[in-house]
Amino acid sequence: MSAPAQALVDAIGKTGLNYSFVLAPDELASFLHGMLVTLELSLVTALGSLAAGVVLAAMLTSPRAALARPARVFVEVTRNTPTLVQLFCAFLVVNMLISEALRNLGGNPLTPFIWSAIVISLHKAAFHAEALRAGIEAVPRATLEAAQSLGYSRRQRLWEVQLPLALRFALPTLVNNMVDLVKMTTVASAIAVGDITYASIMIWTQRDNVLELMILILLFFGALTFAVNRAGQWLEIRLRMPGYGH
Amino acid sequence: MAIDTLSPPAPRERNRLVALASVVAVAGLLAWLEYGIAQGTNNPTLAALVTWAPALGKSLWVNIEISLLAIALGTLAGLLLGPLLLSPVWIVRVIARCYVQVFRNAPLLVLIYFSTYVFPFEIAIGRHTLPFSDWFKVTLGLALPASANFAEIFRGAIQSIPHAQWDAARSLAFSRTQVFRWIILPQCVKRMLPPWMNLYASITMATALASLVGVHDLLDTAQVASNTVARADFTVVVYFTVLGLFFAYCYPIARFTRRLEKRYAFS
Amino acid sequence: MLSRPTRTTLAHTLRTLALFAAFSAGAAHADATLDRIHQRHKIVIGVILSGPPFGSLDPATQKPVGFNVDLANDVAKRLGVDVELTAVQPSNRVQFLQQGKVDALIANMEVTKERAEILSYPPTPFEEIGGALITRKDSGIKTWNDVRGKPVCVSQGSNYTKPLAEQYGAQVKAFRGQPESLLALRGNNCVAAVHVAPTLRLLVARNPDWKDYTIPVSNDLIPSPAVIWVRKGETDTQAALEKIVQDWHRSGWLIGTERRNSMQPSQAVLDLHAKYKAPGA
Repeated sequence: MSAPAQALVDAIGKTGLNYSFVLAPDELASFLHGMLVTLELSLVTALGSLAAGVVLAAMLTSPRAALARPARVFVEVTRNTPTLVQLFCAFLVVNMLISEALRNLGGNPLTPFIWSAIVISLHKAAFHAEALRAGIEAVPRATLEAAQSLGYSRRQRLWEVQLPLALRFALPTLVNNMVDLVKMTTVASAIAVGDITYASIMIWTQRDNVLELMILILLFFGALTFAVNRAGQWLEIRLRMPGYGH
Repeated sequence: MAIDTLSPPAPRERNRLVALASVVAVAGLLAWLEYGIAQGTNNPTLAALVTWAPALGKSLWVNIEISLLAIALGTLAGLLLGPLLLSPVWIVRVIARCYVQVFRNAPLLVLIYFSTYVFPFEIAIGRHTLPFSDWFKVTLGLALPASANFAEIFRGAIQSIPHAQWDAARSLAFSRTQVFRWIILPQCVKRMLPPWMNLYASITMATALASLVGVHDLLDTAQVASNTVARADFTVVVYFTVLGLFFAYCYPIARFTRRLEKRYAFS
Repeated sequence: MLSRPTRTTLAHTLRTLALFAAFSAGAAHADATLDRIHQRHKIVIGVILSGPPFGSLDPATQKPVGFNVDLANDVAKRLGVDVELTAVQPSNRVQFLQQGKVDALIANMEVTKERAEILSYPPTPFEEIGGALITRKDSGIKTWNDVRGKPVCVSQGSNYTKPLAEQYGAQVKAFRGQPESLLALRGNNCVAAVHVAPTLRLLVARNPDWKDYTIPVSNDLIPSPAVIWVRKGETDTQAALEKIVQDWHRSGWLIGTERRNSMQPSQAVLDLHAKYKAPGA
């Protein structure tokens, strides 16, 4: 691997870009591992945020104030504060308090990865919930009344009538949110989760090759967001219902 | 058995309840702070908070400055770029679309690192040097995606005007530029306003990332304060204060945006 | 996503932008730093304010104080210029120096092979600093080898990353700066944190919040000479700073400053003082 790799690095080196970190096995391994961690984190937060978003949307549209009001407060606070600050509050503050509390019970099992996943999922869930709420409220009243007259309970109406239609209505917004989510996983680097940004920081603080790493990261995220957009388009086509919406 | 209603509580009542709840919460927090200050030295955490409050306020202003400048630069650039996305010249369209694709798909943190570490610290133009302070570099780093996003918003607004208006205007002998300037653009402004304000909100929240590259913004000041005071309870208080300060700035903007959306919904 | 011609266009644009940036950056460094310092009558020095004794903010005056700050002020005084202190972090100090944002670094940076390749330094060190390990009293870590396979917190850009990972097999987690790293330690995200020894020793000795923590290992990790760093090839600045550092040792000012900042002068510093004080040195 090293001879053609060395030749490639030298060839690129002629344009002034220093990619010699590829030849150091531990740095290359950490960079590749970083890509894997970013993919993992994106997948976990995508699923987590969707699940939390559905729950939040259900709470927001509930007629019971005891569910709707806390959900609204949560959505407002989460949407109007930066993710990084939320992450620091969770990881540096809440985590410390949990550790102190659980000290005698065997310690705190929550890793930085778990905290990033939780904070990013909840942050995006608020945005998903708003989109789904708009979708749920856009379901024609006639359809709901028809379902009610057929004996569907409130929960069945939500799960079998409102949510599927809301999903199709909100799909473009949800896909946009997913693209934002993938980009947001980079903040996890601030709490030493080994994602691609963190791996790059570790390499460039020793080697000072910021531009080269930036190019790689931008290419990686370009490919990732392209894949997400494509998946969204495929999903839109598959879920299309003739006569509804588009 | 409870009445199985189809509709949630009326929106107006919900918003009033939320507004009331937030006012009560903020008033409670202030009252607690006042009480603590009145107690004086009994609570070192509150005393430390009072000492650091001016520094925190000043550094919040750094974040606000960065966000205002970034959105201003981004809007100007986006206004120029938007029409280029719809240009009849193919190569112009392609270059503009490339720019928009790159800067919309790049994570904000990566762009901030890029602008901080790759841009030079000052540019020599002839005999004069133009200094690029680190907060200005972060501003540029945020202005780039702002311009790309705003160009997209602008393009969307232009394309949402029914094509019939273009045809009617052309048939009345308006030139292409005149149609754009007198008919399309005034209508676009109203449609662009809510997404533009959403963009501003997201840029403001992205300014928190500036602390990761050494800008002395609110989050950085909080970290310095927490490190200098070195008390665990003060750390808790100061981080949640930062959360509260960002909320206090961004929430009114979000509410105002929603009012605008409702007002322009059917125009 | 993008067709072939547009992708090539994109690559060309990026390279041009990069070259432009590099060219402009190069243009900023083309002046001799020492000339610029005297011309502007100001030297910009990067210091680390992560905690006493090296640097911190005096809460009353909000001004930086500490060992690094005293050294920086004296450098400026001896050069006859004003000083501008810039707070840097381990994660961005090298970039700030390379870009010209600061003219010199007095930032707890010890000599390593990698750093010597990209930066220059006046050969005489002003201290010898090693890394100390801080951990909870009940964590069971007694020697450096006990960290094998366990997570250890450091700062991004720290020179302890390599020996911890390679020699002792620890899982290194790097944070933006020392404060974040110590907070992560308290949050149980790592079993130990490794930073410059004098800071941790003062923390454990003086701060009641850290009474449950201890420095179990008495020998420091890779004690290395701490020097002032400048950009590569800046021989004039390097020579001027070298003279200043030698003077510090000769006059004993350095030892006095360390004591004033509650630091214990290391054996290396005492040796250097003896060496420069001797006639004919």
